[in-house]
Amino acid sequence: MSPLKDLGSFLAHAVVLEDEAATRYRELADAMAVHNNPEVEALFAKMAGYSEMHRAEAVAHAEKHAGGLPDLKPWEFEWPGDESPESGRLESSHYLMTPFHALELALEAEEGAFGFYSSIADKTDDPAIRELAEEFSAEEKQHAEALKKWIAQYPEPPENWDDDLDPPVPID
Amino acid sequence: MNSAVEQQIRILGHKDFKSDYKPVWCAGCGDFGVLNALTKAMAALELEPENVAMIAGIGCSSRIPAYTTVYGFHGVHGRALPLAAGLAVSRPELTVIATGGDGDGFSIGGNHFLHACRRNVNMTYLVMDNSVYGMTKGQASPTTERDWTGSRLSPQGTHQPPLQPLELALAARAPFIARAFSNSPNELARIMTEAIEFDGFAFVQILSPCITFRPEQLGWKKRVHEGFEATNDRAAAFAALAEDDGFTTGVLYRAPRPHFQPDQREPVDIETIEKRFEVRS
Amino acid sequence: MNKTSDTTKDLSLALVGSGGAGVMTAGQTLLDAAAASGYYGLMTRATGPQIRGGEAAAILRLSGEPVECQDDRLDLLVALDWNKAERFADELILDAESLVIADPGQGEVPAWVGESGARLVEVPFDALTKEVRGARANTIAVGLVGQLIGLKGTDVEATVGRILENKGAKLIEAALAGLKLGRTAVDDLPQRQGLAGQPDQAEPRWLITGNDAAGLGAVRGGVRFCAAYPITPSTEIQEWLAAHLPELGGKLIQAEDELASINMCLGASFGGTPAMTATSGPGFSLMVEALGLATQAEIPVVVVDVMRGGPSTGIPTRSEQSDLDIAVHGAHGDAPRLVLAPNSIGDCVTTTQWAVHLAEALQCPAVVLSDQRLGQARAAIDPPPQCDWQANRKLATDELEDYRRFADTDDGVSPMALPGTAGGEYTATGLSHMESARPSASGMDHQRQLDKRRRKLEQFHFGDDWADIDGDGELVVLTWGSTTLPAREAVARMRSRGHAIRLISIRLLSPLNTEVLTEALASCRQLLIVEQSHGGQFHRYLRSRIELPDDTHLLARPGPLNIGPGDIVTAIENLDLEKVA
Repeated sequence: MSPLKDLGSFLAHAVVLEDEAATRYRELADAMAVHNNPEVEALFAKMAGYSEMHRAEAVAHAEKHAGGLPDLKPWEFEWPGDESPESGRLESSHYLMTPFHALELALEAEEGAFGFYSSIADKTDDPAIRELAEEFSAEEKQHAEALKKWIAQYPEPPENWDDDLDPPVPID
Repeated sequence: MNSAVEQQIRILGHKDFKSDYKPVWCAGCGDFGVLNALTKAMAALELEPENVAMIAGIGCSSRIPAYTTVYGFHGVHGRALPLAAGLAVSRPELTVIATGGDGDGFSIGGNHFLHACRRNVNMTYLVMDNSVYGMTKGQASPTTERDWTGSRLSPQGTHQPPLQPLELALAARAPFIARAFSNSPNELARIMTEAIEFDGFAFVQILSPCITFRPEQLGWKKRVHEGFEATNDRAAAFAALAEDDGFTTGVLYRAPRPHFQPDQREPVDIETIEKRFEVRS
Repeated sequence: MNKTSDTTKDLSLALVGSGGAGVMTAGQTLLDAAAASGYYGLMTRATGPQIRGGEAAAILRLSGEPVECQDDRLDLLVALDWNKAERFADELILDAESLVIADPGQGEVPAWVGESGARLVEVPFDALTKEVRGARANTIAVGLVGQLIGLKGTDVEATVGRILENKGAKLIEAALAGLKLGRTAVDDLPQRQGLAGQPDQAEPRWLITGNDAAGLGAVRGGVRFCAAYPITPSTEIQEWLAAHLPELGGKLIQAEDELASINMCLGASFGGTPAMTATSGPGFSLMVEALGLATQAEIPVVVVDVMRGGPSTGIPTRSEQSDLDIAVHGAHGDAPRLVLAPNSIGDCVTTTQWAVHLAEALQCPAVVLSDQRLGQARAAIDPPPQCDWQANRKLATDELEDYRRFADTDDGVSPMALPGTAGGEYTATGLSHMESARPSASGMDHQRQLDKRRRKLEQFHFGDDWADIDGDGELVVLTWGSTTLPAREAVARMRSRGHAIRLISIRLLSPLNTEVLTEALASCRQLLIVEQSHGGQFHRYLRSRIELPDDTHLLARPGPLNIGPGDIVTAIENLDLEKVA
């Protein structure tokens, strides 16, 4: 169902977008914990915290909406890609990733969300949707800008950042 | 949170179906996407965790049961399908989902796969296929390309063509056959729900990249494409597979038939059975 | 056999024939008819390697008293023909007191028969068939033998009618005429060897094979799921369960192999359904890995191994007790399990039932070591006793806050949550684990769970059924499983000659009740261990667990020839009998 269909549908997308972003960051933080990368773990946990805050905002908007939310199955959402746009790409994670990479991963996610909302703001005829989409896209843009500044504080990692002199170990 | 919003989040599944275990999978592993899709599918089907059993063998992907909140059985290598069949046949009211990898399912467990297809017990079989043995440090599996030389165990390649699991399943008379991609978890969840709801043996090959031993599989994202149109015509399904490049996704074949039921008889009590041993003049 | 009178309480006979002569049906008819008349008895089979038309021998022993093993010799041998019958020369032992009835038109009398000194009488079975349209030589032989040994004619006729029930009236009519021909042929015979008067019969005999009995024991204990792959000589257990489980609401799957059958059983048992499979050595070998899983994941399952000659394909149709090693020790890791052995055909019911009860109570695998000798013998016995051993698994059903599947309880048995129980969700695993079932490679968790699993077997009170101990004496015969049958008979013979002998037959082989066994051997000055294995597996096992007396002797012999009562009598006679009181 298109997020452009009505306000309920738009809000459903917003809530799920933020929820999935938070869930993914938690998942990435857990993966870093398993691989003993505490610095990046902490960073993803922080990102998850932000996303949970944003989720709460989206939820608050949704709850105010008298029309309620449509009952959408995960595959009934219309996202620009395979997943909701603020979900950090799993395949961009790596156990040796540095904060630089983690922030780049997050930046890609935030820019994805910005693109999603701004495209809705462009396309919608519904002033209520436009208002919220503009608000959200502005927020996402802020996040992206903040991330860019944050990234600038980190030196670009050396080319061989993913070198591991130890071979993988057998498990089972 | 009001109920509509709560329901919308609940349907993503992680609340009810994701356990607090942190997966041992490598960061970036495709199996995270499978877990994600699986919890979504179970939530979308409104299953109760206690009425679902995930059955697995050995391998990276076979660790998945413990990462969910449902009942699980992490058995020995290659035997997920018979474990699942025993459970599904004896407890037909449960939702039984067998899972595993390509080595577990098509190599050491290959015989069970063939017979599970034709036996058609009411259960789902999700194979996370990455064409490599991850937990033993990256050896070739039955679905590995002939010329892959990335393993010390087959440094000059496998000298064998890879198996095509969908062809096998179709030849062995599986009634539901599909392929999906781990990194499209929403679409994967949709196919999973269809497989779980299917009355009979439903097989889904899930292309799930191995970031550690087959990093080139990250390129699968670009190669995967939709294309299968579900049919109940075996010839049409074989024809579709003849054209398949190994990356076509969707439900290939869907031909319901009554699922496997062991013999049933009029009930009698043990005393009656024992009387049959008696011999009288 | 009593040689001075024309009746005997105990009679051994065999029928041989080939090419579809029907000696097995004839043998079964005689056994069933004798059972109907209240006699005890058993029938065993010896066959060539052909699926159809091979040479075959039906060997019967009939008696007014319970018998469950063949005698050392035959009173009567009936040959419908002699084709390749010399194959059975080791088993069909004749002497001057034996009577041989053979068809003179069906080949020369083999050397072993001629040299035995047995009395030979000719009856032209084949020629007699020409007298009645449709008559068969085997039915004529049944009529003849029935009359000769004094079976009630009406019981024989009724049995033939029952066995041929589905073959049509015409065939039954011809068979009854054949019986009559056989009966009248006896008038021409010079000697009668009849069974003594019909025994008193409080309740009807049961006709049962050891394999059927194991199936019955399983369902008595509560087994309601079986998955199995056909293998000689265990297939009849599977077939019996296929016929009867559905009547009890149970289910059976013919699996694609033994790896599947044991794992299907584990899947069913994980779901709470008591499960069993039946197999023989080669199949059991394939199940070993899954048995380790059953130990580690604490899932009850029963495996009946109907032993045959090994290793490898070995001798599929003959008995051996050579799977003891693999049953007790066949596992990687420290994987204690239950191993039980029935010591009579009727005991196949009781011991299998006990195995189900124990496996369920202790949440571990139980192996029942039956063998071809018990499994494929058909016997007329007293009904096995009823006992109240039931599957009664300790379940976690309520208050499942913070449920720990492998909780380290005092008795080592942890309540098991079954799928469907909210709050009990856990993942059973073959990995070493914590109490919560979470995988763990920590030495502490590993040790704790190993201790727990050992403790539950060691602390359980198994009661007096771990062995059958009979009689007193400084001379002890110690055995297990099917060799208990000839041992009982041998000990009885020696006792009747004035020797005091204690007989111990161990039913619960693992865990071995070492304390009570040591006690039972305390006054033993001479020990004879009897087992049907080449390597003396039982002897080695006992030595590894207890101190055996200095004067310990071993009668260990591989198959295919069963150890008979006479073999054990000879082994006892060869001991220094002066030494013991």
